[in-house]
Amino acid sequence: MIADRVSLRGIENLSAALSALVGRLAAAAGLDSAQAYRLRLAAEEIAVNVATHGYGDGDGEILIDAGLDDEWVWLRLTDRSPEFDPTEHDPDPRLTADPDVGPSGGFGLFLALSSVDRFEHEYVGGRNRNKLLIRRRAGGDGGD
Amino acid sequence: MSFQGKLHVEDGVVTIRLVGEVDSRSAHELNELIIDAADKNPTRLVLLAEDLTYLSSAGLRCLVFAHQKMGRDTEIVLVGTRPEVAETIRLTGFDRSIVMQDAVGP
Repeated sequence: MIADRVSLRGIENLSAALSALVGRLAAAAGLDSAQAYRLRLAAEEIAVNVATHGYGDGDGEILIDAGLDDEWVWLRLTDRSPEFDPTEHDPDPRLTADPDVGPSGGFGLFLALSSVDRFEHEYVGGRNRNKLLIRRRAGGDGGD
Repeated sequence: MSFQGKLHVEDGVVTIRLVGEVDSRSAHELNELIIDAADKNPTRLVLLAEDLTYLSSAGLRCLVFAHQKMGRDTEIVLVGTRPEVAETIRLTGFDRSIVMQDAVGP
């Protein structure tokens, strides 16, 4: 188990903290660079979404833990912002918006959900738990 | 790794070399470069991306902002984009609004 705690008071360091954590996890699990990239991107997008929309740029904290088994590598982000299930986010309005005049942002959740091999959300005890999973390569080419 | 961008102007073409990571922390730096570039009313904006190692949605927002701020009269060309970064752009469909080219030799 690899665990870390990211305080949103330090959102300036959020990306760096996630990068470091994913780097350690990728090394432990033998993820290739593309897999590690996808996991980092998904984690950052979820964390930024929690920070900016869940906590509304206010005070808050995200607890991040991570782990792996024979098939999966995962990061789990737990927060106390209002209940929100990213899997219920509909990306179509953003994806079909006119790129000349539509909003410039709004791709974060879509990228997060598209980047991982499995995404799980649960709301338990007043906490959102978003679990981001990457499937380890069949045949163990990344090592065990 | 942090982000560094260097802007060069020649014959109506603005070229920006992107080095490092454009994420939620550094995206404002790229946005400032985009604003500087737009002020020069270029016919083309060339983004040299061989050394751009990471692009989150915050960085992608900068590219969409550039496209919208400069308008259709300015062609935006992304050169030498790494596969993971290119995949992020393609997932969103924004590759249809810009030109993506392979890197050219030195």
